[in-house]
Amino acid sequence: MTASAQPLPRILGQIKPRPRWREARLLAIVAAAILAGSVSLELARHSDETAATAGFSPAEPFHLAVYLGVLVAAHLAQVLTGRRTDQVLLPAVGLLGGISLLLMERLPQDLVVQRFFGAELGLADVQLVWLVLSISIATTLAIVVRSDRWLRLYKYTWAAAGVALLLLTFVLGTEINGQRLTLSFGPISGQPSELLKVILVVFLAGYLSENRSLLVEESTQIGPIAIPPLPYLAPMVAMWAIALGIVVVQRDLGAALLFFAVFLLLLYTATARPGYVVLGVLLFLAGAFVMYQLVSHVQTRVDIWIDPWKDPAVTGYQVIQALYAFARGGLVGSGLGGGIPTTIPAVETDFPFAALGEELGLVGIMAILGLYLVVIERGLRIGAAAGDDFRSLLATGLALVVGVQAFIIAAGNLKLIPLTGITLPFISYGGSSMLVNGIVVGLLLALSDKGVEPPPAPKPPGRLARLTRRGA
Amino acid sequence: MAQRSVARSIAHVGLALTLAFGVLAAGAGYWQVVRSEELSRAPENPAVAVAAASVVRGEIIDRHGNVLATNAKYAKGGSYRVYNDRAIAPVVGYASRQHGSAGLELSFGAELTGLSDSDPIRNALRKFQADPYDPQTLTLSLSLTLQRAAIRGLGEDSGAVVMLDPRSGEVLVLASTPYYDSSAIANPDTEKDGWAAVADNPAQPLLTRPTQGRYTPGSIFKVVTAIAGLGSGSIEPTTTFPNQAAAEKNGLVVSGFRIKEHPGVAAKTLKLVGAMEVSSNIWFALAGLKTGGDNLTEYAEQLGFGASLPFDLPTAPSQVTDGKGSAPGGFKDDVELASAAFGQGKTFVTPLQMALVAATVANNGELMRPRLVTELTGKAGTRKIAPESIRRVISQADADAITAAMLQAVEGPLGRQFTTGAKVPGIPTAGKSGTAELGGSGEPHSWFIGFAPANDPQIAIAVLVERGGRGGARAAPLAGSLMKAYFDTVAPK
Repeated sequence: MTASAQPLPRILGQIKPRPRWREARLLAIVAAAILAGSVSLELARHSDETAATAGFSPAEPFHLAVYLGVLVAAHLAQVLTGRRTDQVLLPAVGLLGGISLLLMERLPQDLVVQRFFGAELGLADVQLVWLVLSISIATTLAIVVRSDRWLRLYKYTWAAAGVALLLLTFVLGTEINGQRLTLSFGPISGQPSELLKVILVVFLAGYLSENRSLLVEESTQIGPIAIPPLPYLAPMVAMWAIALGIVVVQRDLGAALLFFAVFLLLLYTATARPGYVVLGVLLFLAGAFVMYQLVSHVQTRVDIWIDPWKDPAVTGYQVIQALYAFARGGLVGSGLGGGIPTTIPAVETDFPFAALGEELGLVGIMAILGLYLVVIERGLRIGAAAGDDFRSLLATGLALVVGVQAFIIAAGNLKLIPLTGITLPFISYGGSSMLVNGIVVGLLLALSDKGVEPPPAPKPPGRLARLTRRGA
Repeated sequence: MAQRSVARSIAHVGLALTLAFGVLAAGAGYWQVVRSEELSRAPENPAVAVAAASVVRGEIIDRHGNVLATNAKYAKGGSYRVYNDRAIAPVVGYASRQHGSAGLELSFGAELTGLSDSDPIRNALRKFQADPYDPQTLTLSLSLTLQRAAIRGLGEDSGAVVMLDPRSGEVLVLASTPYYDSSAIANPDTEKDGWAAVADNPAQPLLTRPTQGRYTPGSIFKVVTAIAGLGSGSIEPTTTFPNQAAAEKNGLVVSGFRIKEHPGVAAKTLKLVGAMEVSSNIWFALAGLKTGGDNLTEYAEQLGFGASLPFDLPTAPSQVTDGKGSAPGGFKDDVELASAAFGQGKTFVTPLQMALVAATVANNGELMRPRLVTELTGKAGTRKIAPESIRRVISQADADAITAAMLQAVEGPLGRQFTTGAKVPGIPTAGKSGTAELGGSGEPHSWFIGFAPANDPQIAIAVLVERGGRGGARAAPLAGSLMKAYFDTVAPK
């Protein structure tokens, strides 16, 4: 193996502080924006109008101080260790997290109550813990990861771990709201599909970078259209089957859609062949049609999407309430604390986008969409600038995981596509989502570092390619 | 192996995601700008309910300045609605914390609570004001005096009266009987009994008959047939039918089915004016067949049939036919078309729709949007709602010809027998009575539509009395007395 010829990486590299002025300036803007939000929230508390609207809670200054402190600490940690990582990603994600914290402060605190060593934690308390952990994970990965070998070399191990995790959820998962998504070990519970999306990207980046040349150059001609070489279609079909399995067994349309979309986009990135995307979309449509016919859960979701007003009091209720919230927001919104977001069931996990639409208006929605585009752009830029195919595809995939997931849930909130119960990255309440997005940001930061171990020398075609060649 | 770098396809992916997010922004714009106003005002929007619970609603005032709806302080906090008169219940409805709202209280809930300003610019700026709620006072074109007179005139019968100014669409009367006590429903102390009195009442007091009741029209529909026939050029005021005179005696055979005349029509060749005067079923059946199902349906739709009317209260759509047939216009066959032409097909109409038919003829063939709310007044000032033309349905010449026929139906020596009492003394009155046979043994619905003065119309009317007998017996005299009351008390001198 060529990789073994590389020198052992020093865990922290050479420590030499290096200023990060751009990040500092951007973080100052982020802090100002969050403070402005908290002032707006405080003003809403003293307005007569909100006194009448139920479910308002004021911001806790201590929470905001802790959050801003963690952002500054993340910045300083990278300055002190002299990391040359991307300087825009942390502020962009930090502002999204800040918006999340303000929203969770503003919602009624008893939406979530967790007991922790006798202390009772409310919605914002718990979300703050997740945000702090998420940023800590991101920073730790940005500083500690100096080599990509642990990801690059063990892609099949990762894939196996992912499948195992999936199977474990199928078998042992707890059913909540008709979806089997949660895995519990004693007091700790989480949603493995969140972690699975990162594992999927790692595996795909490894597999595609290894077999890229074959996928690009060979094709099977069927009539006028050139489709990929048939042996390499196997992973696509496998992905498709896994996605359908997630729909049937876990009833998790969002994760299935996310996995398949990220897979197709990464496949296109690796091969630049639109034929793959066309084929994948056809497979998707066929699968969607069959699922609609066979799985009642899918049928319900699609029917609600087509006309929520058919049954406005029961099945269509949630979607209609979200649309009312967007409409109430109008152009400039009601201001933080001025809306009535609690009219939307599951607002903190599935509909924070609609709640923000009401209170921040179309202007705020544009800003949030812009922030996601910044995160995506940074991720893709890191991918384009990376030294080799594996890193390019990994960074691209990580950016896609965030971007596509944000798109799916935002589009669901806006009734552009059927609603699926996945989280809005960095904003929705939820531990698994926050922690995994922390990992995503951490890996992106690590990949952006100009000082990390150089990529290994190009290798001969991958194992699978060699095997099939031999057979041919 | 010469391979392109992935950077290019990454750029493509970036472009695709940017476009996708552009679609999201457009979607947000659609709900937050394009549909914002409409959805924010939707009575089902919880914001409307939240505002209703905390805001003192604006008052509702009639055209004379009478306060129809106001507020009282509730001993246990907040306020509740008080209504001046039971007669206005079908128009104003009620606003109750327990039982929701109805009537204008429902359809103008957003304005009355101040949640929405009808002026879009003020509405956008509202968010920057310290006190964003500006409850609007509604001024109606309704006349409490005439509304009371109409309710009194209907008496114990179930029925409806609509009176409107054909020139502006302003509705002066929208009466419905039986009616109910909306104050009892709105008052928290009496709401339980007040609601129980109406909720399961078989007489259906909550059914707003002028806008929601759908009835067989009988002969008043002949005015619609005349509009469609003249408007489409299928008939002229002078059109005669060679087989009509004989058919008055023996009946008219259409596709093997014999259509019979009502008693009292002589076997004589008629033109439009004469046919309207004696209300000849045969002449209008022949006119309808000549006009054709397509034209009849199309002109009816131009008058507002086939869809809810653009009105301040929800309306049931009127229909010429159930549209299930394969003949032109959705009729089953010529028998249905001929029967519809004199008002006995599968035709169902609301009293408001038929008042608009009379008003269109009165207003020289131009249909005005009917409306109740004429002014919205808030802290920021008053906004007047201007008259609005929906469309010109027929030419002035055609409208004049129909007016002449309707005048003859009220004032002609033969017409008077069918419309006894509709004539307003001293004022030329145009109209048409209707007797809607319902099959079976019960009394027919009694109808009248008309307007006055025929030469310069100021008021149009539709009267329906359920099971009231012949049109001339019940509806026509009531219409005459209400139009007289209009000229005596309301009309500008």
